[in-house]
Amino acid sequence: MIRCTALALSVFLLLAVPTKLQSSSVFPYNYKIEVLENGLKIVSIPLNNPNIISYYTIVRSGSRNEIEPGKSGFAHFFEHMMFKGTKQVPRPAYDEFLTELGAGTNGFTTDDFTCYFVVFAGRNNLEKVVRTEADRFINLYYDEEMIKTEAPVIEGEYYSSVSNPDRRLSELLRDTAYEKHSYKHTTLGYLKDIQDMPNQFEYSQLYKKRFYAPDNSILLVVGDFDHSQLMSLVKKYYSGWEKSNYSLQTPVEPPQTKPKRAHYAWPTQTLARLAVAFHGPAYSDEVGDKAALNLLAATSFSPSSPLFQRLVNEEQKCQSLGAGFNDTRDPSLLVLNAVVKKDDDLPYVEAEILKELERIKNEPVSADILADIKSNMKYSMADALGTTDGVAGTLAFYINLTADPGTLNKLFDLYDKVTPKDIQETAKKYFVPANSTVITLTGGKAK
Amino acid sequence: MRGMQKMILFGLVSIGLLMIGVSCRKENPNALTSELLPIDGNPLTSFRILLKIGSANDPTGKEGLCQLTWSMLANGGSKALTIKEITKQFYPMAASLSLSMDKEMAVFMGTIHKDNLEKYYGILKDMLLNPGFREDDFNRIKTNQLNFLEKTLVNNMDEQFGKEILNLMLYEGHPYGHYEAGTADSVKNLTLDDVKSFYKEYFVQGNIIVGLAGGYPPDFPVKVMADFSKLPASFTPRLSLPKPHIPQGLEVVIADKQTPATAISLGFPVSLTKADKDFFALWLAGSHFGEHRQHVSLLFQKIREERGQNYGDYAYIEHFVQGRDKFPAPNRDRPQQYFSIWIRPLANSNRHFVIRQALRELKKLVEEGISEERFQLVRTYLLNYTKLYAQTLSERLGWQMDSRYYGYQDFLADVQTALPKLTREDVNRAIKKCLNFENVCIAVITQDAESLKSDLVANTPSPVKYANPNMPKAVLDEDTVIQVFPLDVKAEKVRTAPAAEFFQKGGIPQK
Repeated sequence: MIRCTALALSVFLLLAVPTKLQSSSVFPYNYKIEVLENGLKIVSIPLNNPNIISYYTIVRSGSRNEIEPGKSGFAHFFEHMMFKGTKQVPRPAYDEFLTELGAGTNGFTTDDFTCYFVVFAGRNNLEKVVRTEADRFINLYYDEEMIKTEAPVIEGEYYSSVSNPDRRLSELLRDTAYEKHSYKHTTLGYLKDIQDMPNQFEYSQLYKKRFYAPDNSILLVVGDFDHSQLMSLVKKYYSGWEKSNYSLQTPVEPPQTKPKRAHYAWPTQTLARLAVAFHGPAYSDEVGDKAALNLLAATSFSPSSPLFQRLVNEEQKCQSLGAGFNDTRDPSLLVLNAVVKKDDDLPYVEAEILKELERIKNEPVSADILADIKSNMKYSMADALGTTDGVAGTLAFYINLTADPGTLNKLFDLYDKVTPKDIQETAKKYFVPANSTVITLTGGKAK
Repeated sequence: MRGMQKMILFGLVSIGLLMIGVSCRKENPNALTSELLPIDGNPLTSFRILLKIGSANDPTGKEGLCQLTWSMLANGGSKALTIKEITKQFYPMAASLSLSMDKEMAVFMGTIHKDNLEKYYGILKDMLLNPGFREDDFNRIKTNQLNFLEKTLVNNMDEQFGKEILNLMLYEGHPYGHYEAGTADSVKNLTLDDVKSFYKEYFVQGNIIVGLAGGYPPDFPVKVMADFSKLPASFTPRLSLPKPHIPQGLEVVIADKQTPATAISLGFPVSLTKADKDFFALWLAGSHFGEHRQHVSLLFQKIREERGQNYGDYAYIEHFVQGRDKFPAPNRDRPQQYFSIWIRPLANSNRHFVIRQALRELKKLVEEGISEERFQLVRTYLLNYTKLYAQTLSERLGWQMDSRYYGYQDFLADVQTALPKLTREDVNRAIKKCLNFENVCIAVITQDAESLKSDLVANTPSPVKYANPNMPKAVLDEDTVIQVFPLDVKAEKVRTAPAAEFFQKGGIPQK
């Protein structure tokens, strides 16, 4: 039985993904960037798909900004406070507004930024959203008691992943690998700092004044709207937002001078974990080191790599193997991680990962493999950019870094320029023992 | 002109397919079916190959076999290519074949750019129609399934663990009464021959719906249908399900483990699915009471927002799996459903209070229903929010397949006509008909299970302390009621066992 549905779909939301994929047009959409007098940047991407608008506010403050002792996790905590409403639109009214709108809405916090999104249907709702969002960013209001009630929610969020060993592995890795930089802690923060959040009312006011300001924020609007209408609304509602002029000086991480290692004994049974990390560069769409390391990581640790195939599929020592290397404003860690089936195999898997890194220094990556990696990246990005909210959600991470969607095409152009020799040289530069941190985690007995 | 030719060709192909289809559907349940969603000009094509076979089809004593078999198709090699070769060919296309499993359904999913459609389909087709069933793939996939049961589920993911215990409680002695992955003991005994036999019996034409969406060439469905029509022409009659277990009073299972936080799931079967005329009414009630990860949820407001007890609290009137973002993932359809409440982990010291609070709120919902103001608000909310459900090709296709399953032309479009016709009375009638607060299964993951059992049975008062010394009076006043809210928990209805013993020999450990 063949059922064929003709496209009389009133709420169909797909975008036209490019029909020919080229590096220079990985990001294929037209966009405009404008800046208000108070420093607020607006990145506007009108699309010809019907009905949906993604309205993102990006505040360039994440756990990177938590440079003072005892304040880890504060960017994430403040994200929660941003939903408390204003005197004009108190929390219940704000909730009711979002409910009537039927919006997909939330916030999330990363190392470098905090993002608030409202995804909604109907361009006729745009003014209501601009007005209400501007109000809460300019006029946020909460009192000390609201802080004290919200703070335990963060502890609850901590508890929601308390049984997951990967979170503990990540906490220990950062804490071990970094000495000075605020990437030393996770976005959630240290538990002791979370438990002190009810007492941080005064600091929260200072935090807001420093970072929740137009000169530290970007509006990213994608979807079914008219650019000039958007701009007239933004000028109308955001122009009264006062600049901060605050300049953050993040601590500079000193070069690591000797290998580091730590182990975590997980109290119950679990598969063993291994993380082998190296300090790497910050995001750049101009300097090739980060791009070369991204390609290298995919070459050696993606599912198609020989090492993955051997450790996961042939020898079956690992349940998974992969690489993670966030695009960040300051230099961050390239992490090679494995879930290992037997504790006794941890030394072997670690040795094989290090052997692979030595191999890369000495053997150029084949042109065919490099082409496969670049192809994967292009098709993956095209897929990510296939819906309105896919565009906004993907771009938020890059907008935070450069405030320009064009960075995506520049980045993919940079990938195209990376040669096997570049990868070898970059590997020699970063994969040295003194720059490494190894974390292991094994389980105990089940209760 | 070329567009016109294309349209004519497409029309002819569609008519041809329709003719085959009509004859197959009416006269031959053994034949393949399809669901097509062509979008001319879209460079992507999404596949959803849906099997009307899930874990409920596991033979007794071989629980987990269905998941293992379908995992062998999605994660093992074909006769022509090893998994290594498949991965290598998929990689430059950023392609994959993923699997989702449920009680009576499984779906293989992939989306591909038109540059790679032919190549991708050629591999996918072989993976599903000519699986390699190699011993090394079997060992790898079976070990992963076993490790998940022995180590990961019961130790590393308490929220999921709690939900799965609730499912076991709801369906003891029922074909839904075991976890999709099985138990450690049952999986250990599975063999490659078991997998081959299961595939041979169930991967047959009549059990399969081929779903395609996107800008595939007009003749592409014919080719796919011709390929899949080489499978044996047979089908598996739909399972005749017994009535699920209706809890008698409050039935509690507590998994004991070393943990600072308690995970809680509550629920009971409901005699209603999307196919029922009262669905929209109960759906609105569920959204009001506990919309998944949204502020509109009453439980979220009372437990998290007013009291800061945890990260979130939600309720569902049917089996729910989160898909992209926070939206429900399609293709988890069932002819029997259940109502559930999900309390996210909270400090052990507050567990008794929050169980009381959740059941008290449920009692109020059943006895008082929804107010007109909330009815109007939540209806508007659902009318708008559901417009965001199906943003990708694959989601759209999945919802279209679900529409067929439950008898809708287009469920998401029908929402727009059904909700405006609803009245508050419809909703309150559906609540009275389908929900209750006295006969409920409660699954808890916590530390020191026996002390919770004692507190529940003795109805020990459970006051809570707040970081905020100036909590609103209304909240504190309500707390004085909640902390002594009586729960009729009988000692013989409470089962406790070490967490590590669940999903090992059976689902819930038997003493």
